[in-house]
Amino acid sequence: MLKGVHQKLEPQQTPAFFVRGASPFSRLMLYSALSIIIMAADARFSYLSSVRHAVIGALHPLEVLANAPSNWVRDTKRYFTAHHQLVQENYLLKQQAFEHRVMLQRLSAIQAENVHLRSLLNGNIPIQPKVILGEISHTGRDPFSNVVIVNRGTKHGIKAGQAVVDAKGVIGQVTRVYPFSSEVTLITDKELTIPIQIERNQLRAIAFGAGNNTLDIPYLPANVDIRVGDKLVTSGIDGIYPAGLAVATVTSILQNPESPFAKIISTPVAEVTNHLQLLLLALPEVQEADIKPVQPEPNPTEGKPDTKPVEKSKDKKPHAAR
Amino acid sequence: MQPVSRWIIYLTLLVALLCHLFPWEGRGIILRPVFMFAVLLYWLLRSPHLCNVGTAWVSGLLVDLATGSLLGQHALSFTLAAYAGVTYQRRLVLFNAWHLTGYVFLLILLERVVLLLLKLFAGNENPGWHYFWPVVTGMMLWQAMLFVFGAITKPKTR
Repeated sequence: MLKGVHQKLEPQQTPAFFVRGASPFSRLMLYSALSIIIMAADARFSYLSSVRHAVIGALHPLEVLANAPSNWVRDTKRYFTAHHQLVQENYLLKQQAFEHRVMLQRLSAIQAENVHLRSLLNGNIPIQPKVILGEISHTGRDPFSNVVIVNRGTKHGIKAGQAVVDAKGVIGQVTRVYPFSSEVTLITDKELTIPIQIERNQLRAIAFGAGNNTLDIPYLPANVDIRVGDKLVTSGIDGIYPAGLAVATVTSILQNPESPFAKIISTPVAEVTNHLQLLLLALPEVQEADIKPVQPEPNPTEGKPDTKPVEKSKDKKPHAAR
Repeated sequence: MQPVSRWIIYLTLLVALLCHLFPWEGRGIILRPVFMFAVLLYWLLRSPHLCNVGTAWVSGLLVDLATGSLLGQHALSFTLAAYAGVTYQRRLVLFNAWHLTGYVFLLILLERVVLLLLKLFAGNENPGWHYFWPVVTGMMLWQAMLFVFGAITKPKTR
């Protein structure tokens, strides 16, 4: 492929004793320069996302092939699950479903009331975001990045920027979409921020990913009313994450006498490492004219009580809120 | 050491990419060697007229695309380490097996260090000492390559 370049470069050199093509140093210069240009183009201007999409699409069969052995092992294990384990699980799930149904009865009543009150106040009707169930196919090829790869992509209607949650709380946000998969960046990633609220006193703040499975809430005064054990929920003002989803629990508060700010560290509540299934929430619609007062469904798919009115544009990522 | 076909090289590189795409998890992903680089290094030192800095660049780019990391990161680290490998390639005849092992160890370490620097410049957090495990496993993989495809240095003659 690169033979042509070498041949062109060759006459400029003194004939070597061994035929080696262009000197390694000139190759080094050429390819290093190319790498740096590509890195700059990728990092600063994201010109190469379409190239990346095409190649990832082309690599998909290879990926399926690579995943096949572990999938076989998993399926075989699943096939030989003990009978009593299934019975036990079934019993537990039934019990859980019953409890949830009781809770949902109250929820639908409250939702109906909420819609009614909002319409009285000429407010926006809360939207039930559409959800798509996805499964984690692997936890990324790079062990030191906070991403997981989910087996849903553009072919399933996934868009970059969608919020991702599991049964316990927020996992993160879709950052890259490929034809058959998408990359979800966890909220603990340094690049991601999430607008939160302290559940106890409704104090609003922005949490920044701090790596190592922690979140940091900077720029809050040392005397702020936050305690260890406080629950952080999404505030919903970004228009990406619906309000009221659990995000993290405060694990430590450090006071540094030299800094006017408290160092507040919290750990996410979502359990990415423990199970495979997660939900991808659709981006909220922006056309307000399209929103009609709909009767709430009697069985919303999961426990999201309410969505705050959406005002911001849908492409806005939460870290734009800095 | 008989000459190798170009296609053997590309096939082994493809298999290395496949191994890289295998869904590694937990401890596996920490210990996972940089398959592409270990395989590349073997061919680079054995037949640099077929596998050179350009091949290193293309395979680095493939790793970048497959892993979704910043495009060009692995390409640059592979290129630099491959250059270092090719520079002293002709002196390998003088090396014995232990010298060669040390040399390859340094090359794999160089690849890791360059990549780490690029990652830190790109704003990633410091990954800690775990990051260097692939150097050890990469050495093992390289030894396995020697075992499968034959030694590079001349057999010792008395």
